[in-house]
Amino acid sequence: MIHNVLVIAEDNHPSYKEIKMHYEVRGIEEAMASFDIYDYVIDCSQLRTQKKYYFIKELARTTKAKIISDLSLSWGEWIYNNCPYVQGAVSTFFYSPSKAFEYSVKDKTDQATKSVIENFYQHIGMTPVFHDNLKLAFHYPRVVSMIINEAYFAIEENLASKDSIDLAMKHGVNYPLGPFEWGEKIGLSLIIELLRELREVTGEDRYRISHQLKLEAIKL
Amino acid sequence: MIFKTVVVIGAGTMGAGIAQWFLQQKINVELVDSNYELALLSSEGIKKNLDSLTAKGKLTAEESNHFKTALKVVKLQEISPNCELVIEAIIENKEIKRKLFTDLEKIVSKETIIASNTSSFPITELSSSLSLDRRSNFLGLHFFNPATIMKLVEVISGNLTDKKLAQSIAHWFNQRGKVACECNDAPGFIVNRVARNFYGESLRACTNYNLDTIKEIDTTLKAVGGFKMGPFELMDLIGIDVNLSVTESVYHAFFEEPRFKPHRLQKEMVDSQRLGRKTKIGFYHYDS
Repeated sequence: MIHNVLVIAEDNHPSYKEIKMHYEVRGIEEAMASFDIYDYVIDCSQLRTQKKYYFIKELARTTKAKIISDLSLSWGEWIYNNCPYVQGAVSTFFYSPSKAFEYSVKDKTDQATKSVIENFYQHIGMTPVFHDNLKLAFHYPRVVSMIINEAYFAIEENLASKDSIDLAMKHGVNYPLGPFEWGEKIGLSLIIELLRELREVTGEDRYRISHQLKLEAIKL
Repeated sequence: MIFKTVVVIGAGTMGAGIAQWFLQQKINVELVDSNYELALLSSEGIKKNLDSLTAKGKLTAEESNHFKTALKVVKLQEISPNCELVIEAIIENKEIKRKLFTDLEKIVSKETIIASNTSSFPITELSSSLSLDRRSNFLGLHFFNPATIMKLVEVISGNLTDKKLAQSIAHWFNQRGKVACECNDAPGFIVNRVARNFYGESLRACTNYNLDTIKEIDTTLKAVGGFKMGPFELMDLIGIDVNLSVTESVYHAFFEEPRFKPHRLQKEMVDSQRLGRKTKIGFYHYDS
């Protein structure tokens, strides 16, 4: 158990149950309601850059703690540059077959923040993998999202069945999961959110989202 | 569907692997190459592989001998006209392939199925070198290297391929331990298309050559994503030039679709002859 850590998370976080079992957890609304004295706040909110920025700004009014924020869907470099309280970042929203996650620290010499992140997530069974120089996004989410998006484009064009594509990627290039199985595990809406963010930040059409992916992700 | 004799044209790595796999299915194989000496060498290589499998206890001596006698090296004009299947696994050159199919049509029977192991050319386009009534019996059979070990075979139907034929062949492979995935004819088929951004997006995350970032991306995708190899390690293994060539082919075939756009770093590596393991230097250095 790490003391002096407050966790902000909603039940949409993939490790919500494990976190709640071991740590004090507050929802977003609750976290904004009072001023607390903690060393670290671990922010697990699932927000894109702009909303994340305003959320952290508000959060900083309620605490003097250092903030470690989940930037799975955000432009990491921009958040580091514009949110002084954020000292570390993690990416834990995208399902990892090996229960591992990427993390970074703003100041590479900040061993304390590194230790807090490593200990916190190891305690809930996740393996940390260091990401040295956070720029646009964490590596794993952007690469896997592009693979899954392409598989949906292939379906749009009637290239093959989902089963065939999943099997082909597992047996042709040894992927641990087929792209559709992977997409289901991650959650299609997360993939869409990240691709939107990447397209918005870079302005590049390569991040255009397959309409088949949207069709299957957006449910009323 | 019964295959008594399969002709494999092209005795390089892929052709030899495909030939050996068919031999191990107890099918007679005729191996052809425009370089007859190479075909003989390749045939010797296959026989050594069979001996090695026997030594490991994976084949009996009897099986091994039977497979060896079922393998013949022949010239194109000597292939059995009534063979059930011909698989082309020659160099990725469209014109050479098209000429071969035109020649083949004159040699084999109308019932013979003709397949290409191409990884990059459209099946429909290749089939246009055959007369119209032969195109229903033409399809893509894309094996993965090493063909005796990798289970996947992409079974690709061109515009005029008989879909029932493709289904039957896929079924035939599935019954023999392969994983046959049927797909329509589109650039890169399944794997070479869907996998493009494993490399492309990693190259963009890297931006410029930086060994620390390259190692970080490889480590992350293996540790977090569960991939067996990182994208840069894999490009080095495949050959950065080969990877760039496939990327360019898919990119142009999709009319310059930005999702497939090659990255400057790939081109830089190729221009500086850092092609991967085969040149002992690619994204990584290889001493031996």
